[in-house]
Amino acid sequence: MAGMKVVVTKTDELGNIDWADLNEKVILHKDELAALMITYPSTHGVFESNIRNITALIHKHGGQVYMDGANMNAQVGLTSPAAIGADVCHLNLHKTFAIPHGGGGPGVGPICVASHLAPFLPGNPLVKTGGENAIPAISGAPWGSALACLISYGYIEMLGSEGLQKATEIAILNANYIKHRLQDVYPILYVGNNGRSAHELIIDLRPFKAHNIEVVDVAKRLMDYGFHAPTVSFPVAGTMMIEPTESENKREMDRFCDAMISIVAEILEEAHHDENSLLKNAPHTLKMGTEDEWKFNYSRKKALYPLEFVSENKFWPSVRRVDEAFGDRNLICSCVPISDYQLND
Amino acid sequence: MFLRRHLGPNEGEIEEMLSQMGLDSLSQLIEETIPEDIRLQEAIDLPEGISEHAFLQKITALSLKNQCSDSYIGMGYHPAIVPAVIQRNILENPGWYTAYTPYQAEIAQGRLEALFNFQTMITDLTGMELANASLLDESTSAAEAMSLLFAVRTREQKKKNSTAFFVSNRCLPQTISLLKTRATPLGIEIILGEEEHLNFDDRFFGALFQYPGKGGEIIDLPKVIEKAQAHEIKTVVAADLFTLTLLEAPGKYNVDVVVGTTQRFGIPLGYGGPHAAYFATKEAYKRHIPGRIIGQTRDADGKPALRMALQTREQHIKRDRATSNICTAQVLLAVMAGMYAVYHGAKGLREIALEIHRKASELNALFNQLGITQKNTAFFDTLHIEIDAKKLEELAKKRKINLFYPDNNSAYLSLNEATTEKDFERLKTLFLDYKGEKKAAVFEEKKNLPAEQLRESAFLSHPVFSSYHSETALMRYIKQLERKDLALNHSMIALGSCTMKLNAASEMLPLSLPQWNNIHPFAPLNQVEGYTEMLEKLTHQLSVITGFAATSLQPNSGAQGEFTGLMVIRA
Repeated sequence: MAGMKVVVTKTDELGNIDWADLNEKVILHKDELAALMITYPSTHGVFESNIRNITALIHKHGGQVYMDGANMNAQVGLTSPAAIGADVCHLNLHKTFAIPHGGGGPGVGPICVASHLAPFLPGNPLVKTGGENAIPAISGAPWGSALACLISYGYIEMLGSEGLQKATEIAILNANYIKHRLQDVYPILYVGNNGRSAHELIIDLRPFKAHNIEVVDVAKRLMDYGFHAPTVSFPVAGTMMIEPTESENKREMDRFCDAMISIVAEILEEAHHDENSLLKNAPHTLKMGTEDEWKFNYSRKKALYPLEFVSENKFWPSVRRVDEAFGDRNLICSCVPISDYQLND
Repeated sequence: MFLRRHLGPNEGEIEEMLSQMGLDSLSQLIEETIPEDIRLQEAIDLPEGISEHAFLQKITALSLKNQCSDSYIGMGYHPAIVPAVIQRNILENPGWYTAYTPYQAEIAQGRLEALFNFQTMITDLTGMELANASLLDESTSAAEAMSLLFAVRTREQKKKNSTAFFVSNRCLPQTISLLKTRATPLGIEIILGEEEHLNFDDRFFGALFQYPGKGGEIIDLPKVIEKAQAHEIKTVVAADLFTLTLLEAPGKYNVDVVVGTTQRFGIPLGYGGPHAAYFATKEAYKRHIPGRIIGQTRDADGKPALRMALQTREQHIKRDRATSNICTAQVLLAVMAGMYAVYHGAKGLREIALEIHRKASELNALFNQLGITQKNTAFFDTLHIEIDAKKLEELAKKRKINLFYPDNNSAYLSLNEATTEKDFERLKTLFLDYKGEKKAAVFEEKKNLPAEQLRESAFLSHPVFSSYHSETALMRYIKQLERKDLALNHSMIALGSCTMKLNAASEMLPLSLPQWNNIHPFAPLNQVEGYTEMLEKLTHQLSVITGFAATSLQPNSGAQGEFTGLMVIRA
């Protein structure tokens, strides 16, 4: 999209950038090397120890280092994009700096640059903004979504230097606590040199394939416990990526971990989960639970109130599991009278 | 202290967790986690935190440095009335604003339905077959349309290397600027001109028209489209939604893409954003549509259910061949705009539009009376006058009235929903004073819409747009939808791909203050000192936190930030 060619580097078995592969590719493309794009800590939730060597290598061959700020919540106050040797990064104010997600927007994605790139920051045709040699506009408005910036401004003003750092530390603590609680029942993919996660961790659900359980089954079953699933199958298929953030207390994380552990027990109860099993039928709706006839071979209680805490704050999914493929084969993207809607496969 | 409210665990819980993990202290954990050679040696150079109460006092005081004027600037942004029931029950409600992107459809049917309504509103008003669930802003949406038309060029056009994209010089300047940004890396040549003098040839693959133009003129759209199509040139129309309640849908003229903003449908100006843009096109291009599309499907019982459709276009599956980036929607604002249409219905929207048009027409009559030349033959809400701009601006500023002055000899002024009778009297008096006249003649009702292009097709005929016109009914409908959705006000959403931390109420409160939310992005800088100060401080804070020299707040999403970063490196 930006008119550049993408060359993908490999990662090693620990989830880090493959140093030998990177070296080889940098040398191969050194005459046309524009930039390295990295996420730090990595999308695998690890502070790679080799990062300064990586950024130095790119600089040595005339490239710039672009850092994706998606994982900035593990950095604020403890390290920084400049400290790892990056030249430019974007931030997600709707992730790290408290702008709410809004169900999928608004977002604000400022870019921060080292001094040699500052003159090129984007301008606006009507209002003076950006660098001296500004590239043309990126958004229609001169300061993007200015109103939403108030939220991040308030967040930083109220937390202050010390609070920002403490928030990062607790984000890392919370992730490592969840790792500590789940590591006996779920394999943890990728950890740092000392066995620590950053502010998020990846659990591996692929071993449950032997029981005919996919990651989506666990995601849907979590709804019965009142939880939204962690990120599913990204960046690794068949896994979940968990990031509790600093704002969750121990009680809430314990409830979540209890649910995750309880689901493993449910999986292991059956050697092979058929299409009518507890996990395959998840989520269970209020309508299912209150029909006169209960046609499943597990109890209502097990389906609807599997743990004590669930009954105190039950969330009812309003529909049963949706059929993803059906809708794409019969595309309907605006309201039509219900009578016009015919179910034909 | 705010920190205590922001953090989940208290000191006791922190101790407990550390000891369960066999750690002596938090600093031990950090030392084991972050490599030593990148750890900061000193605390970041920002002031101490302040309490929530102190922040609210500070931010309110700062807001008073922004001047709320009567804004007739237009140029893609208009003062809007946010229905109080929508402000209170959606914009200020964590049940709506803390939810995540609706990937887990079974616990997101509420906002999926609200977005489905939004899409229906857009397809109805534009007369197109398919609309997405919003994009970042109108200019971005126009650029996405250009990319789409470039991608679907005919074999003949590819063979002939048709790379020119015509852009009417009636288009918004910010859109033209953004099109240039996007055109460069794709190898597209932007050619600006007037549609009247346009001679299409086979260099062109596509064309963009603004409807109405930035100065208010309504072009003969069917004629222009026909001319383009005679040369197999595909067309994009950037259309104003209120205009489309009175004029025929562009879809009837067989245009290929219709884009625009929904800001006027009850979204605060907010000094430029956030607002939801729309993107509507033909079903034939469904695999090329940018952004999210909500589609109907069925659940395990065969009952209708909604979910995000065509996800195979997205980046986590298609990687660099993706036609959609997941991060390019403005869901909360789209939900609000869709709900605005649900609340007013087709008749209500038309009435608002007619009232705006009546005021514009009355003003036009006054200009006739005063001998001020008004250049638009057909218009909806915006007038283009020949005037001594310096003199007018001086008089206008005294009355706290903002107009748009494209040069020294002219002005544009756009009427809007929020213009009260009192505001309107003030506006008329401004021009009477300018001419040294005392009294406006009685206005004889006259419309100035193009007679051949009046709307005949129906819109918003689905019952959802006629069932919730009382506040009680709408309040309950919003609640009914909210209850179907799991958001942070119910339980933790531990997403590794996103950071779903607290969105504190005191961080959100300032958004409801008129001195923050009712400011036009092109207001004169000396009226927006509060914003300038806040934005400068925030850019400084972010530069300090990242260790960098400078920051631009312009990108509206992570993906847009990423694109900006790469373009800056390219420059």
